[in-house]
Order: sequence, then C-alpha cells, then structure tokens
Amino acid sequence: MIDIQGLNKTFKLFHRPADRLREAITGRVRHESYHALKDISFQVAPGEVLGVLGRNGAGKSTLLKLLTGVLMPDSGQINIDGRITGLLELGTGFNPELTGLQNITANGLMLGMSHEELDNRRQEIIEFSELGNYIQEPLRTYSSGMTMRLAFSIAIHAEPRCFLVDEALSVGDGYFQQKCMKRIREFKESGGSILFVSHDLNAVKMLCDRALVLEDGSVVFDGDADIAVNRYNRIMARQAEEEEGRHLGRQHGAYGTGEVAVTTGSVAGQESHSATISSGEMLDIDLTLSAHQAVGDITLGIMVRDRFGQDIFGANSFQLGQTLNLAEGSVQRVRLSLQADIAPGKYTITIGLHSREHHLEACYWWYDSYLQFEVAGFKQHLFSGVCRLPLTLETLPAESPSPAQQLE
Amino acid sequence: MIKHIYQKLFATKPGAEQRIPRYKQTRVYQWLRSNPKLRDIRQSLPLILHLTRQDLVERHTGSVLGATWTFVSPLINILVFVLVFSSIMGAKLEGFGAEIDKYAYSIYLICGMLAWIAFANSLGRITNLFKDQSHLVTKVNVSLLALPLSVLLTETVVYVIGMVFFIGFLLLVDFPLSAYWLFIPVIYALQCLFVYALGVTLAVLAVYLKDIKEVVTVVLQVWFWVTPIVYVMEILPGWVQRGMQFNPAYVLVDAYRSLIMRQQLPDFLPITLFAIAAFGLLALGLWLLGRTERDLRDCL
Repeated sequence: MIDIQGLNKTFKLFHRPADRLREAITGRVRHESYHALKDISFQVAPGEVLGVLGRNGAGKSTLLKLLTGVLMPDSGQINIDGRITGLLELGTGFNPELTGLQNITANGLMLGMSHEELDNRRQEIIEFSELGNYIQEPLRTYSSGMTMRLAFSIAIHAEPRCFLVDEALSVGDGYFQQKCMKRIREFKESGGSILFVSHDLNAVKMLCDRALVLEDGSVVFDGDADIAVNRYNRIMARQAEEEEGRHLGRQHGAYGTGEVAVTTGSVAGQESHSATISSGEMLDIDLTLSAHQAVGDITLGIMVRDRFGQDIFGANSFQLGQTLNLAEGSVQRVRLSLQADIAPGKYTITIGLHSREHHLEACYWWYDSYLQFEVAGFKQHLFSGVCRLPLTLETLPAESPSPAQQLE
Repeated sequence: MIKHIYQKLFATKPGAEQRIPRYKQTRVYQWLRSNPKLRDIRQSLPLILHLTRQDLVERHTGSVLGATWTFVSPLINILVFVLVFSSIMGAKLEGFGAEIDKYAYSIYLICGMLAWIAFANSLGRITNLFKDQSHLVTKVNVSLLALPLSVLLTETVVYVIGMVFFIGFLLLVDFPLSAYWLFIPVIYALQCLFVYALGVTLAVLAVYLKDIKEVVTVVLQVWFWVTPIVYVMEILPGWVQRGMQFNPAYVLVDAYRSLIMRQQLPDFLPITLFAIAAFGLLALGLWLLGRTERDLRDCL
C-alpha cells in the first residue's frame, strides 16, 4: 500500500552556493523556485500495479526519490506500509570496489534487512541474479546488465511491500527482462504494490491496472492504463508540434541575394488533393516565381527531408537538363511532380533557386522546410525502410539455368 | 566478529521477555523509544556497523596482509614515538612521578598523540562525510545522524588498537598501570561526543561551502601545534598557559595524561566546561541538521 497525499516538492535555484546556506539558516528567500511536484495525491492498493507516464522533466524521478526517502517533500504525506525497494536508474548505492557478495550485504543492510534475513536470502539472491562466479568479483568489472541483475535480485528478495521499477529494467537483455517481469507479477499476486515508471507504452498497457500521467509536476490523469497511454500520446504529440513550430520559427524566412524568389508554394497529392498522401502517389509541388531583375540560367532545386532532418531525395532542374530564364518583373509558375515512393511519416521540402550546378556560386533564394507533407498508408504493396525500390518476383522452372550459368 | 558482539549485546535472552523490566517503564525510556530520529539511528545501526567493518577490513581485501593493515599504522606510530624519541632524541622530562626517565617523553607523547589522531581523523572525515558518502545518501535512505557514527567507530577501533600496543609497551618498561585507566573510556566518550557534535555542524556547512573542507584541514594542523602534544605546557608564556584551559584538545589530552601518567583524576572544572561545550555543540549541530536536512539532500 502506497498512500500519497498532497505532495509538493520545490527545488531552489541559487546564484551562489553560500546563498543556500544563508537561506537555510535565516529563512529569508534568496532563490528562484522550480516547482517539481505540485499537490500529488494517489494510492497504490496491495496487489496493484500503477503506471506512471510523463515526458522528461514531468517529475517522475523526483517522485521516485521522494518515495525512496532520498529526498524530503516540502509538504504532504507519504505513507508506505513496510519496506519499499526498487530497481531504479538512479542507482542503488552499490560500491564498485566491493565484490558482488559484499555489495549484497551492504545493500541489503541499507534496505533495512537484518543479518538474519540476509543469511537466509543470500543464496536465492545469487541464484536469481545468475551471476555465478562473478559474484566474487568487484562490481566495477560488471557490465551494466550484470549490475542491474544484481540490483533487481537484491531489491525483490528484500521482502518489500512496495516495489518501484523504472527504465533501469530495459538495461537487461530480453531473457532477464522476462524473468523480472514474471517475478514482478508474482510479487503483485502476493499482494505487493508496484509503481511502474516507463516510456514503454506497451509494457504499461500490459502490466498496469491503472496509470498516472504527470505533466509539469501535476497529475493530469489518473485512471485506466489504456486511456492514460492515449493521454500521454496526446501530450507527446503536442510537444512534437511545439518542436515543429520552433523548428519552423528558427528557419523562418528565406535567404539569398533575392534577384528571384518563390512567392507562393503548395504541395498536393494528385489523388488526395491534400498534403497528406499515400506512399507511391504522385505529388505535385506548385511554385510561383517572380523576378526583380532579369536572370538567366536559373536552377530550381528541391530537397525532401524526413522528420529527423535526413535528406531523402534531392534534385534540381540543372540535373534534369532544364534551366529557367526570367525577365525583369516577370512571374512564372512551375510544377514539379514526383512519385512519392517513400515510407509513411512527415516530410519537409526545401526549395532553392540558384545559378547553374549548385547554390554555392550564386544563391538567389533558399528556404529550408518551405513546404510540408505527410505520407500515410500505401498505394502499392507494403514495404519497410526509407523508400520503395521497384521489385518483381518471378517463378522459374527448377531446371532453368541461373544467370551465372547462362554466362558460361 | 562485530556481528557476534552486536548480537550478544542487543539480542534478548530466551525466556527474558515475560516481565517488562523497570527501566522500560520510565518516561525517558519511552521517549527514547518513540523519538523518530533515534529510531532512525537505531534502525541504521546494522548498516553503521557494516560500514565500519568495510572501513577496517574489507578495504584491505585483495591485499596480501588483509585486515592486518588496520594494525600496522597504530603499531608504527607507537614504535616511532618510542624508538625515535626515547633512544634518539633522549628528551628528558621530569615531574611525572615515574623514575623511568628514558621513556617519559615517549609516554607523554603517545598519551597525547593517540587521542589527537583519533580526534583529528574523526573530525576531518566527518566534516567531508556527506560529500564523500553522497553516492549512498542520494541513492538510499540512510540517516544522516547515524552516518558519522561509523567514522567514530572506525577511529575508535584504531584508537583501541593503539592503546593496546601502548599498554603492552608500558608493561614492557614496567610503568605502573592504575585503576584510573578505568576513567579513560569516560573521557574518550566525551571526546567522541564533542567530535560528533562539531563534526555534524561542520559537515552540514561543508555541503554548502566547499571551503570548509580546506579550512578544517588547515585549522587541524594549526590546532595540533597550538596544543601541547609534542611539547610541554611549561615552555609556553603564562598568559597562553591560562588560556589553554579553553582549548578543548588540551583539556582532553591533559585529562588522559592525568589518568595515565599522574595517576589522578583530571581537573574537574575544565572537563565539566568541556562537557557543557560538547552538549551545546550537539544541540547546535542537531538544530542545524534538522533545519537544513531537506535542503541538504536536494543539494547533494
């Protein structure tokens, strides 16, 4: 049973370390506050698994630290009916110079186990961790997976009433993760309370009865795990949009010498008539060019980039053997059409107007991520990877010679 | 070994639980039981003992001599003081009631040095303790009040080992051992109280001000030479001698010397003042830690 009521935690940001001491003693404010957790209340019943979702900085780690007692809350109650242990990324207080066996003793005592309990449990801990003879080696020689195995093994064998799990679990290999999951389920069935902090939405759905969504230090949702996952996805989507907005803001505006410029542009699928197309559909990019001066031999280039900013496809009119010539004050409409045989996802199109082969000579106009479009679903067959390469399959009679044999 | 001692000391004997002993019914006992800070300390005792053991024994695992190293430094200290100062320097001190002048300075020196080493080492280590152990403090819930106890315990073990060698030496040179030795643990307990109190105060400050660590190192060095440990009080000017009564380290060292060399109880007034100061510092340290603990943990 974990019972949290009205938990608040503020971190103080000081300009100088000495200010911290002065304030701690006198009580006069000398800091800026960062409110990490705001009025958090929730319960985890015996035999229940509560998931905690939230993006980075939402307050998950702070919550875990408060629960383990490493940090102290500003206000609020934490009631835990017994020992609380866990497998946490923030570590377990292992001493790298000691052997695995010595660390079992030290760590067990830190978790509040008695020597008697430890003597009874030591063998089980070693067996569960599957470290074998490595248990006699200093911890600094362990891989992170081995350390995690030992940490989990001690934590679960300390007979806790409550167990905390976070991303540290993902350090282990698939086999050991499954073993841990099985052990966690057994723990749940025996009436333990579990707090499961993860970005693995699938695992949250599978394991948790209920989930919290933390956002900016507050609980914005507490309920069914599936709904919580959707809520979390929405928050992440919003963040993605914000990121994109910021990205656009940063890249806003064209640069270049400005003799010619693109004044309007749009992108549309030939069938969908919108900026969302199917993979394999023809995509039209319509641009209006206007010239302030007469310029000859203009090259128009495009670059399609995916959401990671990776170049997917780029080409220009010079490579096509075409150049544009514009008279002063003239307006020219152009349409580029390409077959979008690319994987589903969001893409941007960068447009450039420059002289001849490349934009390093004379760049008239350049605009990063000028247009966006999204690919969703497939027009032809499914494929994996970045793009679809034309592929055929033939069935041949068994005795027909292979190409290599034909050469001979 | 420590585990066994611990079990012997604290385990209840079978058949002892039928009647509640009288001391368990007193209000003081009830308060001691229910005070949450003390409960934290009590619960961390096995951990403290284990950390001490680690400090003394497991630190040397892998070395050929192992735990023997723990005995080496006190032994070397004693040997150096005895050989260098009794044979080579041949310093002669008078008026300590012992006819064995040859060893008088060595005895004088060892009395002071063993106590000072325990004092200075504990204080220095406790000052840096929260920083040094931040890998524990920030990962598991350990009582900050209990943590310094492991340092005191370690240094006490080293001190006791030193004292055992010292006693061996005294027996060897036929120096009389008296019943006054029984008061040494009392003085040593007061010393520990003082070091704990001052140490906790400094440890809190050291988390906020990195300078404290350096300051303590320097102050301890000066303190060592200000206190008549390697020299005798009589070489100092009169006004310094009178002021020396307010030097806690001198009060301690002098108390040990009274018991061991002069075979008499230490002066009552200085040691009482010392005890009052220790309790005062303890109150200050506890207040400071209570006031800053939440912040301290954020800061580590």
